[in-house]
Amino acid sequence: MSSLKATGVGKSFPGVVALDAVSFEVRGGTIHALVGANGAGKSTLIKLLSGVYTDFTGRIEVDDRPVRFSSPADALRLGIEVVHQEVDSALIPTLSVAENLAIETLAEPTSGVWLNRRQLRADADAALERVGLEVDVRWNVDRLSLHEKQLLLIARAVSRNVRYLILDEPTASLSTPEVERLFAVLRDVRARGVGVIYISHRLGELADLVDEITVLRNGRVGGSFPKSTPLSDVVAAMFGQSLDDIYPPRMARKPGPVLLDVVGLRREPDVAPASFIVRRGEILGVAGLVGSGKSELLRLLAGADRAEAGSIRVDGTAVTLRQPADAVRAGIYLVPEERRRQGLWLERPLRENISLSFLPAVSAWGWLVQRARELKLTTQAIERVGLTPPDPEQAVQYLSGGNQQKAVIGRWLGGHPRVLLFDEPTQGIDLGARRDLFHIVQQVAEQAAVIYASSDLDEVLAIADRVLVMRGGVIVGDVRAEPAARRTILELATGVAPALEGFPV
Amino acid sequence: MKTTSARPGVHASSGQGVGSRARGFLLNYGMIVAVGLLLVFFSVASPYFLSVSNFLDILRAVSILGIVAIGVTLTVVVNGFDASVGATTGLAVMLATSLMVIWRLQWYAAIPIAFGAGLVVGLLNTLLVVRLRIPDLLGTLGTLYLISGLQLALTGGDAVYRGMTDPWSAEHVLTRGQIQPEFLWLGQGRLFAFGSFEGVPVPVLILALVAVGFHIYLNHTRYGRLLYAVGGNAEAARLAGVNVDRYRAWAYLLSALLATLGGLVLAARIGTGAVHAGDTYLLDGVSATYFGFAVLGARRPNVFGTILGAVFVGVMLNGLTMLNMPWYLQDVVKGLVLMASLGLSFYLSPRSR
Repeated sequence: MSSLKATGVGKSFPGVVALDAVSFEVRGGTIHALVGANGAGKSTLIKLLSGVYTDFTGRIEVDDRPVRFSSPADALRLGIEVVHQEVDSALIPTLSVAENLAIETLAEPTSGVWLNRRQLRADADAALERVGLEVDVRWNVDRLSLHEKQLLLIARAVSRNVRYLILDEPTASLSTPEVERLFAVLRDVRARGVGVIYISHRLGELADLVDEITVLRNGRVGGSFPKSTPLSDVVAAMFGQSLDDIYPPRMARKPGPVLLDVVGLRREPDVAPASFIVRRGEILGVAGLVGSGKSELLRLLAGADRAEAGSIRVDGTAVTLRQPADAVRAGIYLVPEERRRQGLWLERPLRENISLSFLPAVSAWGWLVQRARELKLTTQAIERVGLTPPDPEQAVQYLSGGNQQKAVIGRWLGGHPRVLLFDEPTQGIDLGARRDLFHIVQQVAEQAAVIYASSDLDEVLAIADRVLVMRGGVIVGDVRAEPAARRTILELATGVAPALEGFPV
Repeated sequence: MKTTSARPGVHASSGQGVGSRARGFLLNYGMIVAVGLLLVFFSVASPYFLSVSNFLDILRAVSILGIVAIGVTLTVVVNGFDASVGATTGLAVMLATSLMVIWRLQWYAAIPIAFGAGLVVGLLNTLLVVRLRIPDLLGTLGTLYLISGLQLALTGGDAVYRGMTDPWSAEHVLTRGQIQPEFLWLGQGRLFAFGSFEGVPVPVLILALVAVGFHIYLNHTRYGRLLYAVGGNAEAARLAGVNVDRYRAWAYLLSALLATLGGLVLAARIGTGAVHAGDTYLLDGVSATYFGFAVLGARRPNVFGTILGAVFVGVMLNGLTMLNMPWYLQDVVKGLVLMASLGLSFYLSPRSR
């Protein structure tokens, strides 16, 4: 029978057992979801199945025949292909779509010297049609959006006759229509007899797509479920806690005086003139599809991009933001969307990452950095955000996604936050860390104004007091955050009556 | 899988076991061990090598390189590159000497003017690289050509020496200025002599001051920390409230000023204004910076490593010269040593995917 099967596989790293006697099977023509918290072992399992890690215990079988990969190329030869979250690592941005599709053929020593452009183009058109991707195959790949690149990779896999397709968090930064399109393609791929392993943090989207769900937890199988299993059972297997516990209870908050007053802030075409207020002790959610201008609005407030017009008042005082340093001085701090690229100094220890913004506070005469004071600041931040391990000298690149996010937040808590901006703060962090984060955000909100932007509407509704809804760079609604508002917000965000109930937006 | 408990700190690279520990040791201490081995080797091979005065000679020989290389290190710290340092060094040589010889200025006027010119070069680089956002190598390459040409224009292409023909006089009169002894002291003087000890050469003392100063600057002040932060992740640093452009500008300004200082010491040492005297300092400075990259597990440009890199080359050349290596093989040796050192360092580094 056609299947990709791991039996009792284990893999250890120095000091960590990443996988412990895990068995997992995906059959041809099915979609099998692999879920689990960060560090549960999903990536490790994938690396075993795709030939990246060759040194492990246990057995892998393809179509009931045991195999031993010595490199990813071996796995590829058997039709096992991975589409990673970082799609760019698999594409060459300066080559055209057609050339990227044919890269393997081009690299074969036996293929001819001359490029047959017409043939390349025809093959590429055919490949793209199979996944419904409508771009000009002569374009360079760097013109494509993330979603288009994903589809391109799937098209490439299909044209190489993929038999087992592994997708690592493909929807992490896709908008709802894009997710739908991706799902349609995956269903089509499944219909061709391909076995799909689908890794995701978003449990809500699984029900519509997958045939089976396997939960990994601390390197072991936490449970395997058929598609009709209630979500709460899956969550329980992941964390030993029920769905209600994902979002901790709201703390009672009493919004105080207006702390942030924004009038006519704009930067066309991303942000049309935006006006709103946020009070001290209030969490303002910002909801909208990817590309609706949420992130861009936050960047204007943080001075990361320059506004073309508009005024910003913090606590009644007008501030002019030419660069992020101006915002920091005014007490406006941003927790950016891509923490690894925009938030952290990966190879350096927590201590240096946390003290980065407020070095004068730990320096004698404002310039001589004092290690002891710096350590104290770091230790305090570690405690306040609950970072583990609580080691100030740990390089942040070795922390989990959730702890990296805590490091970025911990840095800002060392100052005097008046307005704290969160841009997709839960992206790529597990539910346990998400709980912690919700707690921290609510605590911060007691003393400051918080703006919380997320593509996950349930999350926004769970934490915010009020929700700004954005569409196409325009604020199209300002809604009280209550469960009943969900439908209204979906309508506002998409401009159509929602038929997509159950999807995160 | 992300491991939260593993702590690949300074010593261990990825993986475990004896092999990787040896690899970590080589990476961190390789340069120090190499310098030590060289010292032992030359001490055995040549009877003249092992002496205080020879060591001071070696240090004097590398002092100018060390000063310039610290400037290169600063630009590499902010993830930039200053290709104009050698030319700036040369400009300082020609400018200071011509000011004294041709225009008969006093040394205490010539030195500030030379620094002023260095500042202008630094500002030009800042304008090109930081303001106009030209890629660092290209922008400073433009500066390199410009000031290489300008230093020739000072004298119409001639070297500067006492009693030279005044290139700016229609009647070809001889110049009457001279490079003053106070100035020459910078390159040829010695301090702290007692008994039979002839004293420490002034260039070595200048290098020591500069090295200690910039070591403290980079490692113990917030400015240094922020320079490293800008080089490590400029976008994250900017969003954290660091004025990234200001720190990058600082690096280029300091680089140009250090190259100028190196040029002044060089002019004082050779006592004439030799054309293109500074040219070798660019490549040597870059080599020293990268030699020192991994020293003591720093994995980033650092003053101590840079100085050690410069000393390493100095010991090598001094020793080989004593063993009668022909001068024209010097660059061959430098090339081989650079390849071996960088090859080892990159090969031993934990692989990045």
